[in-house]
Order: sequence, then C-alpha cells, then structure tokens
Amino acid sequence: MSMTVDLPTLWFLCARTMAVAGEDLPTVQEAATGLYAQAILGLTEEECRKAKDAEHISNKTLIDCLAGVRALPSEEAEKLLTGVMMIAYADRSMKPLEVRWASMLASAVNVTPDVFQRCCVNARIIASMLRPSGGDSS
Amino acid sequence: MSDTNFDFLDRFDKRVARLAKQAEKYVHTDPDSCMFKLRLMVETMAKKLTSLQMRGDISKDLGAMLGALERGGIVPRRQADCMHAIRRDGNAAVHGSPTPVPTAMRRLHEAYKISGWFCKTVKRGTNIKLLEFQPPEPPIPVDTDTKKLHNKIDQLEESIEQRRIATRESLLMFGPQEDVKEVTRRIIEELKALDNVAAAAGEPIIDADFVALVMAMDLEQIEEDPRHGGDSRRARREAEEQLEGIKRHLAERENAFVAERTFLLEQRKNK
Repeated sequence: MSMTVDLPTLWFLCARTMAVAGEDLPTVQEAATGLYAQAILGLTEEECRKAKDAEHISNKTLIDCLAGVRALPSEEAEKLLTGVMMIAYADRSMKPLEVRWASMLASAVNVTPDVFQRCCVNARIIASMLRPSGGDSS
Repeated sequence: MSDTNFDFLDRFDKRVARLAKQAEKYVHTDPDSCMFKLRLMVETMAKKLTSLQMRGDISKDLGAMLGALERGGIVPRRQADCMHAIRRDGNAAVHGSPTPVPTAMRRLHEAYKISGWFCKTVKRGTNIKLLEFQPPEPPIPVDTDTKKLHNKIDQLEESIEQRRIATRESLLMFGPQEDVKEVTRRIIEELKALDNVAAAAGEPIIDADFVALVMAMDLEQIEEDPRHGGDSRRARREAEEQLEGIKRHLAERENAFVAERTFLLEQRKNK
C-alpha cells in the first residue's frame, strides 16, 4: 500500500469514486471534474494528466484515498470535499453509495457538521450551474 | 485502381458515400465546400446512429447529438474527437472562415477512418479492412511556395491537435489508457465493502443519516431553481422520496448486520 498520495491523484480518486457511486458516470464526466481541479484546486493540466497515469492511480485503493485525505491541510481537504459533493449533486439525485462515500470522506477529513453543510452549500451552488437544461452547441 | 477512397461506403449508406466522395473531389479546388460536405456527412452518420441505437428525444443539434452518442457509449472517444473536429471546422467554413487545403485534407483523412468504424457499427459483423488512405492528387501541380505553406499549416494543425488532446485528457475523469469498466467494477466492490463496514461500525463524525438529510435539502433547492423546473412542491416530493430510499437502504444494511451478528452468536452458543 502506498503511504502518500498527492493532491491531484487524491482528487481524481475521490471524484471518480463519487461518480461511480452515483451510477451516472457520463453526465458527471462532463460535470467539470478537470475544470474544478484546475480552477478551484489550482492543479495544472500536466498534474491532472499525470494523476491518471497507471503508476499514480491504478494501485491506489479507497483506503489509501481516505488515508491521503486525512493527511491534507484542512483548507485543501474542504475544497476537495466541496468538489466531490459537486459531483454528487451534478445528476440531481442521490444514491446509497454516494451518501456512504460522502460520509466516509467527510469523517476522514474530520470536518464538523457545520463545515460539512457549508461545503455542501458551495457544492450545490456550483452544481446548479452545470448544464441546467443541456445547452446546444450546433 | 479507383479514384476514390470511399467506394466501400456504397454498400452501407449511399448518402454518406456520396457526401464523402464529393468532399474528396473538392478538397483541393474548394476546401470550404469539402468541409460543408464532410460536416453533412458526419451529421448524416450521427442521425443514423441515433435512430438505430438511441431512445428518447434526441436533440437535432449536431454538437448535442454527438455528445449524447458519446455519453451513451455508442461513439468511442477517438471517433467522437474526429467527428467534433469536422463539425467545428465545418461550422467555421459555413460562417465564412476560409479552410486551408491541409486542414480539409486532414479532416478528409479522419472522415475516412470514421467511415470504416461507422460501417462496422451500422452493420454488425461486417468485416472491413481499410486500405491506406490515398490523399487525392491536386488537379494542377502545386508550386514549391504553396507546398511550403501547406507544410507549415499542417504542422500548426498538428500542434493544435496535440494541444487539444492534452487539454481534453487533463479534464476528463479517466486517463486514455484506463479500462473504465474495470476501474468502475473495482471501485464499486470497494465501496460496497466500505458500506458493510460502516453499517457495522458507523462513521465517527459525519454519519450517513446526516449526510442524506443535508443532501436531500440541497437537492430540493437545486430542483427548486427555475432553470430546473422551479416547482417547489415537486422538488420537495422528489427530495423526500430520495431521502426515504436512502433511509431504507441504511436500515436494510443495519438489519443485515444485526441478523449476521445474531447468527454468529447462535452458532457460538450451539458449539
């Protein structure tokens, strides 16, 4: 088991787990995973690409992921949690495994219920801006 | 030898074949028209794939149609990229942006590659072996200066293409070499295991009941947004239904855990 997981890898692990738990992968893929990483988490394009290389991500389990998240500074961890909740809200429905993953992640990040709710409000605001009615592009 | 690369298409879709051949004919003499024809060819393909393999109301807009086909797993990423590139350059040509010959040639080559895949998709079990694409010869030999210019444009096109691929790869959730199905299967397996553990041990700070409640309230607010319908009563009803579903799941998990524990205790007693 790898002991340290960098932020880009952690982000994509957390994000894809939430997407998979939501059972609606394609919509969520569109839902600004990479944009959030670059715009909010401040990751570069190169970091985002490298994070998905087999050597970075394929040998990481969800336990590694939770351990990695636990070690993050609180500000980064809250941003990550907000992004993950944005993905959960992107398809405007919730599934049992989504709830479980959110609960696991929030507990690993060690946020208080108030902070969790604040992250969710921010996530909801971003998610409500994601393709509200499916834009046409000709 | 045939003077077209697209004869094989006749057997599968005559309209697509005709558009491809027309595009091929215009590539040197009128690259803008070549792009119109290629765009129309892609649109015809997308409509056919949509009518054959998609259900429900599908947008008539080509961009949205390609997006839906890609999301539905009908058009793979590589083919979708080529189709989008043709759509973009076709749109640019329609709106008066001149198309250089190398750009039109590049898109024609891509259209050739998509055509082989298209035939296999619309007629399952078809065995098509595409020969190497033969770039159509210009009607009049091209002078050295024009050749140099074409080379430069081609290099620029290539660098734009590479840049576009890099950006796309950085934005997507999975890397190009990843087996999405396998990764998904593994994640679900791990999540279910964590779900079982959590049902037995609980989460120390933020428990699933609390998360479900917060999520239900947020989802209600999202649904209440005028862009998503704006009907408060319906939004509340849907959020409540979803919350009930989650509560049922959590209760079932807990019951299953209790039943398992009881079974184990009884087994121990019986020993």
